[in-house]
Amino acid sequence: MFADERTQRIIGILSDSFFPILKAGLYFTIPLTLITFVLGLILAFLIAIARLSNVKPLEAAARFFVWIFRGTPLLVQIFILFYGFPSIGITLNPFPAAVIAFTLNKGAYSSEIIRAAILSIPKGQWEAAYSISMTKSQAMRRVILPQAVRVSLPPLGNSFISLVKDTSLAATITVTELFQKGQQIAAVTYEPLWLYIEVAFIYLIFSTVLSFLQSKLEQRYDRMVAK
Amino acid sequence: MITLTNLQKRFGELEVLKGIDVTIEKGTTAVIIGPSGSGKTTLLRCLNLLETPDGGSISIGNHKIDFSGQKVRGADVAALRKQTGMVFQNYNLFPHLTALQNIMEGPITVLRKPKEEVRKRAMDLLEKVGLRDRADMYPHQLSGGQQQRIGIARAMAMEPAVLLFDEPTSALDPELVGEVLRVMKDLAEEGMTMAVVTHEMQFARDVSDKVIFMDQGVVAEMGTPDEVFGNTKNKRTLQFLNKLNTI
Ligand SMILES: Nc1ncnc2c1ncn2[C@@H]1O[C@H](COP(=O)(O)OP(=O)(O)OP(=O)(O)O)[C@@H](O)[C@H]1O
Ligand SMILES: [Mg+2]
Repeated sequence: MFADERTQRIIGILSDSFFPILKAGLYFTIPLTLITFVLGLILAFLIAIARLSNVKPLEAAARFFVWIFRGTPLLVQIFILFYGFPSIGITLNPFPAAVIAFTLNKGAYSSEIIRAAILSIPKGQWEAAYSISMTKSQAMRRVILPQAVRVSLPPLGNSFISLVKDTSLAATITVTELFQKGQQIAAVTYEPLWLYIEVAFIYLIFSTVLSFLQSKLEQRYDRMVAK
Repeated sequence: MITLTNLQKRFGELEVLKGIDVTIEKGTTAVIIGPSGSGKTTLLRCLNLLETPDGGSISIGNHKIDFSGQKVRGADVAALRKQTGMVFQNYNLFPHLTALQNIMEGPITVLRKPKEEVRKRAMDLLEKVGLRDRADMYPHQLSGGQQQRIGIARAMAMEPAVLLFDEPTSALDPELVGEVLRVMKDLAEEGMTMAVVTHEMQFARDVSDKVIFMDQGVVAEMGTPDEVFGNTKNKRTLQFLNKLNTI
């Protein structure tokens, strides 16, 4: 009897909270992920090009940037930006702060993926491009990058999926994304176990859908790279 | 037409080309033979400046570069390279482009010619190499022989003064060699100027106007196919040819 009531209460809480949590995911987690991923990719691309530029100061600056952001925890980077920067007069709203922190971090990581992808394209492709009189930048744009994009799809896809999960860190700076929403409801219902399982389940839905899209995309672009 | 004068190339301590003097007349085919490591590939790569020679000079048509003096200007490299087309041993087609796009890429991106004109000419080239019906296929959908013929068409599309071939058939299954040599023979007969590194002695005999035998970074012997294959007096050439025959 008692157990039954408890079960019904949990089912009630879970079904009441499902859509609010999902909504937090759709309104904050997904936009945060998408915006940071796109901005992070652009940044990553610029860093990768800088590192391969053969211009010493540019190369050094890019290397320094990657060193900092890969060598420190993302959580600490977020705290410095959101809780630390106000003391030097830079106060950011939670959402933009999260976007900036994630972008810089993702940019640093993804730049290594892109750089490795560019370096993985066989020398023969550069030579073929030069042999039809392309300049270095034409060869890069028309021959190397299109192939490097395909090479970097799997690792970038993985980093995209891990980004979905990493955005839960934004909860620590009061962004009401998926995890934060779950926390709030857990706090008032006293059912942390079931709520966090529900939160985990919703993350699982997001990352499963993304993995599926990723594998479709990879299949489409398979075989388009010089071996 | 192509004149190499005292051409030299070193890789660190290793002297790979020790002063090469060669001329190839306009409209003729020169075949370059010689043992592995003798510098044949390096010579071709110097011709289109994938490698920068350390001394001597190259002239193609009315473009000339002297490598013994100061640093070579980028504009000179570009001008000379435009005179050459290269066909690679392992094709090096662009895998993300179709056969047709591979051929059109240079004229559109580099020469900035109008797309329709380029497409028409590319289709003509496909016709010529016998692959008109493969225009929209990607390299991985083509056999090695077909890929190499696309490679030839891609080089031809830039309308070079000379075509360079580095062992164009040695990565191919034996039954596919003939179709590539056929295309090369047609080009030779049409008066294309070509320099071909190859181990296909029959092709050298039948098609070439000049045979250049390289050994240890020098031209050990040079002459018509009859002179070199028929009655050479050169010991190293004899050795090389005998070795080929016993394989
Ligand atoms: N990039 C390089 N760096 C250092 N040494 C090189 C380089 N390219 C070629 N060599 C050396 O130069 C010599 C000539 O090489 P090359 O490839 O021109 O010979 P080849 O006549 O084409 O031989 P094969 O018949 O095997 O293709 C070889 O000893 C080779 O090891
Ligand atoms: Mg070679």
